[in-house]
Amino acid sequence: MPLNHELKKILLIGSGPVVIGQAAEFDYSGSQASLALREEGLVSVLLNPNPATIQTDRSIADRIYIEPISLDIIKMIIEKEGIDAVISSVGGQTALNAAMEMHRSGMFGPHLRLLGTSPEDIEKAENRTMFHELMKSINEPVPESFLLNAQSYVSSISEIQDKSYIVRTSFSLGGSGGIIVNNLDSLRTYCDEFFSENPLENLEVEQSIQGLIEVEYEMIRDSADNCISICNMENLDPMGVHTGESIVVTPSQTLSDHEIQMMRSAAIKIVRALHIIGACNIQFAIDVVSDKYYVVEVNPRTSRSSALASKATGYPIARISTKILLGYNLPEINNPLTKNTSASFEPSLDYITVKIPRWPFDKISSNRKIGVQMRSVGEVMGIGANFEEALMKAIASLDTTESRRLRLYKPRNDLLSLLREPNDLRIFAIFDALISGMTAIEISNLTGYQVYFIQKIQNIVNEIARISIGSIPENLQELKRLGVSDSIIAHFARLDEFDVVKYRLVSGLIPSYRVIDTCSAEFASSTPYLYSTYHGTDELPPSPKKNKVIVLGSGPNRISQGLEFDYGSVKATGALISAGFETIMVNSNPETVSTDFDFSNRLYFEPLTLEHVVNVIHKEGIPKIMIQFSGQTGQNMAMKIADLFGEEIFLGTSPSDIYRIEERTKFANAIGAAGLLQPPFAIVRNEIDAETVFERIRLPVIIRSSFIIGGRSMDIVYDLRDGIRRIKEILATYPEHPVLISEYLSNSVEMDVDFISNGSKFLICGISVHLEEAGTHSGDAISILGPSLISDETRKDLTKIVGVLVREFRLKGLSNLQVAANSTGIYIIELNARSSRSIPYVSKATGIDVVKEGIKMALGMNNPLLEAVEPRSYFCKIPIFPFKRFPESDVLLSPEMKSTGEGLGIGKTLDEALTKAFRIQNPSSNIGESCIVSVAEAYKPAILDVVKVLKQEAVTIFATPGTHAFLKQNGINSVLVFKIGDQRRPTIRDLLENQDIFAIINLPDRRGSTVADGFEIRRMALGRNVPVLTNIRSAKALISSLLKKPKIEAREIVSYY
Amino acid sequence: MYYLTLEDGSTYAGTGFGAFKPVYGELVFTTSMTGYLESVTDPSYRGQILVFAFPTIANYPLNKGKMESTIPHVAGVVTKDAHARIPLGGFSDEISAFLGSAGVPGIDGIETRSLVRKIRERGSMRAWISQSDEKKDFSGDPFAEDLIYPTVTHSISEIRKSTSDKRILFINAGSKKSVMDNMADLANLTVVPYDMEVPDERYDAIFISNGPGNPESPYLQNVVKYVRTMIGETKIYGICLGQQIIALAYGAKTYKMHFGHRGSNHAVTDGKAVKITTHNHGFAVDKPSAEARGLKISEWDANDGTPEKLEDPKNMVRCVQYHPEASPGPHDTLGFFDMIRKELKA
Repeated sequence: MPLNHELKKILLIGSGPVVIGQAAEFDYSGSQASLALREEGLVSVLLNPNPATIQTDRSIADRIYIEPISLDIIKMIIEKEGIDAVISSVGGQTALNAAMEMHRSGMFGPHLRLLGTSPEDIEKAENRTMFHELMKSINEPVPESFLLNAQSYVSSISEIQDKSYIVRTSFSLGGSGGIIVNNLDSLRTYCDEFFSENPLENLEVEQSIQGLIEVEYEMIRDSADNCISICNMENLDPMGVHTGESIVVTPSQTLSDHEIQMMRSAAIKIVRALHIIGACNIQFAIDVVSDKYYVVEVNPRTSRSSALASKATGYPIARISTKILLGYNLPEINNPLTKNTSASFEPSLDYITVKIPRWPFDKISSNRKIGVQMRSVGEVMGIGANFEEALMKAIASLDTTESRRLRLYKPRNDLLSLLREPNDLRIFAIFDALISGMTAIEISNLTGYQVYFIQKIQNIVNEIARISIGSIPENLQELKRLGVSDSIIAHFARLDEFDVVKYRLVSGLIPSYRVIDTCSAEFASSTPYLYSTYHGTDELPPSPKKNKVIVLGSGPNRISQGLEFDYGSVKATGALISAGFETIMVNSNPETVSTDFDFSNRLYFEPLTLEHVVNVIHKEGIPKIMIQFSGQTGQNMAMKIADLFGEEIFLGTSPSDIYRIEERTKFANAIGAAGLLQPPFAIVRNEIDAETVFERIRLPVIIRSSFIIGGRSMDIVYDLRDGIRRIKEILATYPEHPVLISEYLSNSVEMDVDFISNGSKFLICGISVHLEEAGTHSGDAISILGPSLISDETRKDLTKIVGVLVREFRLKGLSNLQVAANSTGIYIIELNARSSRSIPYVSKATGIDVVKEGIKMALGMNNPLLEAVEPRSYFCKIPIFPFKRFPESDVLLSPEMKSTGEGLGIGKTLDEALTKAFRIQNPSSNIGESCIVSVAEAYKPAILDVVKVLKQEAVTIFATPGTHAFLKQNGINSVLVFKIGDQRRPTIRDLLENQDIFAIINLPDRRGSTVADGFEIRRMALGRNVPVLTNIRSAKALISSLLKKPKIEAREIVSYY
Repeated sequence: MYYLTLEDGSTYAGTGFGAFKPVYGELVFTTSMTGYLESVTDPSYRGQILVFAFPTIANYPLNKGKMESTIPHVAGVVTKDAHARIPLGGFSDEISAFLGSAGVPGIDGIETRSLVRKIRERGSMRAWISQSDEKKDFSGDPFAEDLIYPTVTHSISEIRKSTSDKRILFINAGSKKSVMDNMADLANLTVVPYDMEVPDERYDAIFISNGPGNPESPYLQNVVKYVRTMIGETKIYGICLGQQIIALAYGAKTYKMHFGHRGSNHAVTDGKAVKITTHNHGFAVDKPSAEARGLKISEWDANDGTPEKLEDPKNMVRCVQYHPEASPGPHDTLGFFDMIRKELKA
C-alpha cells in the first residue's frame, strides 16, 4: 500500500526528560519520525517537555509543544491542531503509556487514529500475563510465571517450585522494579515487605533464567505482513543483567546459524501474533546446551536497542518504520543508506560492533552492582574489523579513568568478586584477571561470559604483555590492530599518550576508514558513514572541499554531559552547512541524532579521544575543527590538538585561552587582575597550605581541581577533615597542579549567563536565574528565564562583566558564565568557553537560534548584531533525578551534578510555568490535602512563610517533633509525626501509606547526623513517588504556585514569544 | 605464508590452514554471517574458492553447524579471522583439520572486504591459493570438469522416511543434505544421480536438486533432455541449479552473472510480499527467454530483478532459484516444501 492520503497532521509523542532507561535514543527515533513525516508532506506536531532535544527544534518538527505529557494537555493539542492520527512508537515507554491512557479514555476512533500497532496488541505485549498466554497459544516457550497479590501470596508461594525467580511490577520502565530472589524463602520475605507497603499492588514472579545467553532481535513488520530482522545482538553478560546494562555485540558471535534462525523464526511468529506494525524488539534467552530458548520480553516500539541496531547496521529503523505507519510496505521503500537497494532486506555486516553502557557511579555514590534494573545513563559503541578492535574502541569511548589505563590493580579477592557479581568494572576485572594469570575458562566460569569472548580478550592481553616500559612498543602495529588505544599503550609503557599519538602520525601508522553500507560491500553505498580500522584499505578519499569543519560530538550520555550537548552539535552541523561548509561529525554515542548519517556531510563513528580525533583531522587533511559543542571533552584535548596542528584550525575561542579558563588557578588570577569579583579563594599546593587556608576561609568551601579526580572536579565540603582528605587525594594524583578552594556563597542568587561573541562584540542570549541559592550545581538547579526576573542594574552589571571576559579571553562563539549575586555584588563562579547545558533551553525560551548565531560570530561573519530578547513568558527548567535507581544514595543536592535530564515548564505566568515544571518532574503527584515538614534547626525560621501559605490553603501539616515544637511556638498548629526510629506512631511511613501527602519538605543540616536521619525519610518518599523538597527557596516558590492552581494551557512554542 | 593470486594479477598474503596444497577455482564471496560449516560442505561450491565477507569465522565449534555433505566441497576458503589467533583448543583447529582431511586449503588474515569490493567491481574471478606468489596459469576453466561427479552417490537409492504414499523422482545434481532431507519428509524418494538413466516408473513428481557449476555443462545435457520429455507428464519441481535445468528444458537461456548472489539476506518479492532468502547462484535464468517459452516469473530479487521463482501452472512446474531449505539462512521460504506436499495430495 502506498501512503495513506487521509493523513494530514500527526501528533508525535516524545519521551519526556532524559531518565535512566529513556535517553537520547528517543530523540533520535522521534527526529527520524518527524523527518519521515515531512518527507511525505505531512505536518508533524510534537509534544515533548524536554527542551534539550533536537526533535523540539523548528528544523525538525513543524508544530512544537513543550508541555507536560498528560491526558489533558494531549486533548488540548488535538483540539487546537485538528490532529488526524497519533504516533506513540518513537517516544519510549512514556509515549506508549500515554497512548494507552488515551485508548482507555476512549479517545481513539475514526477521527483520531493511533498509527501502528493497535492498543489491544500493545497491551498484549506489555502485560506479562497476557503476553505469556499469547506465547503459550502460539507454542513459544516462556519462563513460568505467576501473579501474586496480598491476599493469596502465601498459599500461592507454597505451591511453586523452589527455584530462583525475578519479581517485578507491571509496565516497568527500563527494568525498574525487578529484583532476583534465589529461593522461595527470599521470595516470601520480599513479598511480606512489598505487600505490607503496597497492599493493593500485584507482583509478577517469573522463573529466573539467569546465566543463559541473552539475544535480541530487531524486527520490522508492515501491514502486508512482511517481516524482516534488522539484526541480532548478543549480550556478553548472561541473563540476569538488563540488556541496557550489558555489553552487547552485533551481530551475535558465538551462536550457530541453527540457533540464530530458530530464534529469528520465533521472532517472526511473535510479531505476527502481535500484529506489530513498524518496529519491535524481542529478547530471547538461549540455552545452547539443551538447544532451548525462551521468549523474555517484547517492546512493541522503537527502543534503545533499535537505535543501537540502526547505528550498528546503518539501517534507519525509526525512519523506515514511520513510513510503514503511514501506509507504505517494505518493498515500496528505498534503503536510504545505499540509495539504490530496497529497504526490504536484512543488513549483512562485515565488521563487529560492541556496545558498553556508561554508568553514573562517578557522580552518584552507590554500590556498583548492576542487574535486572537499569542504572546506566548512556552508552558507547565501538566498531572494528574484529571483536578485539570493536571492544577496545568501545572502551576508549567510555572516557573514564579505567578506559585510559585498562587495569584496576585490585588484589585477587576483590577481582574474584568483581568477576562473580555483575558490576560496571567487570570488563576491566577480566583484563586484570588475565594479566594476573587466570585462565579464560576460569574467568568464563566466574562471569558467565562465553569463553570465546575471554579468549579474544586474551589475545589483547598477550599483545599488551609485550609492551616494555619507557619506549614505543615494537609490536605497536599488532596492538593497533587489536584496537588498543594510544592512552592504554602509554599507560603500560609509562609514556605520555601525546607522544604515542605523535609517534604514530610521524611514522605513518594510521588507520584506514571503511564505509558502513548495510550490505558487506555487496553493493556500492553513497553515504559516507565511516569507521576506522587498522585492517584493510581506505575506502573514501578525504572530501575535496576546502571549506570543511570537523564538529566534535559529546560522546556517551552521562550526568553533566548529556542530550543538551548533542542538541548543540546537531544544530552546529546544520548552521555550518548553511554557512557553506562541509561538516564532518565525530562521535561514538549510538543513541544520538548526531550519529545519524543524515545530519552531517560525513560521519566518523569514532571514540572522542585525542587519538581518534587527531586521526580524523589527519585523514581529512587538517580542516577546521569546532569543539564548542562537545562539552568538556573537546576542552580537555584542545591544547594537545593545537600542539600538533596549530591553534588556527580552531573555530571559536582558541585553545590557549581555553587553557587560561580551565586551569583554575590561572583563571582565578586572571579575573582578579581584570578587576572582577569572585568568592574569597585560596590556592593550595600542599597539605600544610590547606590547614592554614581553612583557618582563613569560612566553611563550607568548594574545592576544585583542574582535572577530574575520582569522577569529580568539584566538591563542597562542610567539614574540615573532609576538606583535608579531599585535598590530599587531589594532590596525590596531580602533585604539580594546585587546588583551588573558594568560599561557598550562601544567601546569594545564582545565574547562568549564555552569550555569543566574536572576541570583542557580544550578545547576551539568556540570563537564567536559579531558584535555589548558589551551591547547587547549575544542572541540578531549577532555573527560570522570564520577564523582569532581574533588575536593570544587575543586567547592566552582567553586561559589563561579560564584556570584560570576552575581551580578556578573546571569547568566540558560544560561552556560558555562572555568577552568584548578593547585596555586595556579582561574583564569578565559573566561565565555560563552549556551548553549555542551557543552550537548547535558552534557544527555545527566546526563539533565537543561539547556535547558528554563535557560529556566525565565531566565524567572524559580518552579520548585523542581533537584538537581545527579553522573554515574554516564563520558562522554568526543572531537573529530573535518578535517585530511585540508587537506593544507597541520598537525594540531597551538591555542587556535583546528579540529574540525568530536565523538563521545561512554560507559562504566561510564573505560577503556570512552575506548576507545569512540577508536573513534569512529579507526574504522579497531585496537590493533596497534606504535607510533611521536617527541617533542621538552622532552617526552622525560614520555613514559616511556606507553612503559613499551606495553612491558608487548608493543607494539613504533619511535622516531626522538633519542627512541630517550633511551629507551635510560632502559633501554627501541626500534627505530630514521628521518625521511624522513634518507636512511636504515627510514623512518616504510616502517613505516606495512608494519607494523601503531596510533598515532603525536608531541610537537613548538612553537618552531622540529621543528614542520616533525613535519609530514611527521603528514600521512603522517593519509593512512593512523593516529591521531596530539600531546598527552602524552591519549596517556597513551587508550593505557592501550586496552591494557586493556575490555569494550565497547551500552547505552540511560538505563542510564548 | 600462503598466497591468494587473482586473475587480475593481484596477490594477497595470509596464513594457511586446512590442506597444504595449491588449488585453483572461481573466486566468489558470501555475505552470510553464520553457517560456515554449512557453506563449506555445500556441494554447490565445487570449483569455487569461497571468500567469507564476515570477518570472524569459526567462532562457534564445528559440531554446532550442520553438515550439508559428509565432506567439504568448496575448493578453498578465504577468511579474515578464522579464530586463528587462538593457539590450542580453539575452533580454528577443528575447521583446519576438517578442511585439511578433504584436501581443502584455507587462507586466513586476508582483508576480505577489499576482496569483496574487487569482486563486486570486476566480477567473479579465477584464483589460486598456494604457497608461492609466482605467476600462475589462469587459462583453465574451473567449471570445465564434471563438478557434480564427486558430490553424489553413483547408484539409485530409495529413501522411505515419509508417511506419504507419494513417490518423487529426485534427480541429484549435487544436492545439499538439507534439500534431500526436506524432500524426504514429504514423499518417498527415488534418488537418481544426474548421470544415470531414470528407471521407467511412474512418479508423482520430479524434483531436480541444486548443484555446482554451469547449468549448460555437457554433463547435464541428458537431465535437461529428460526433463523436457516430462513437461506436462508429471509435476516438476526444482531448486537453484534445478530451476536452471528446468528453464533450459523449456528452451529458455541461462547466463553467468557478474558476481552472483551468495548470502542469507536476499529479499525476494512477488510484487507484494517480501521473503528473506538464502542464495547461492552464479548463474541465472534469462528473463525474456523464459517468459517467451511460457515460464512465468512469479518471484524475483527485490534489488536486481533476477528471476527467483519460475512457474508453469498449467503443467504443474514450479521451481526456485533461492534455497528454501536455507541452511544457512532464514527459514522464510520453508513453505516451498509445504506447497509441494499440498500439490502432491491434490
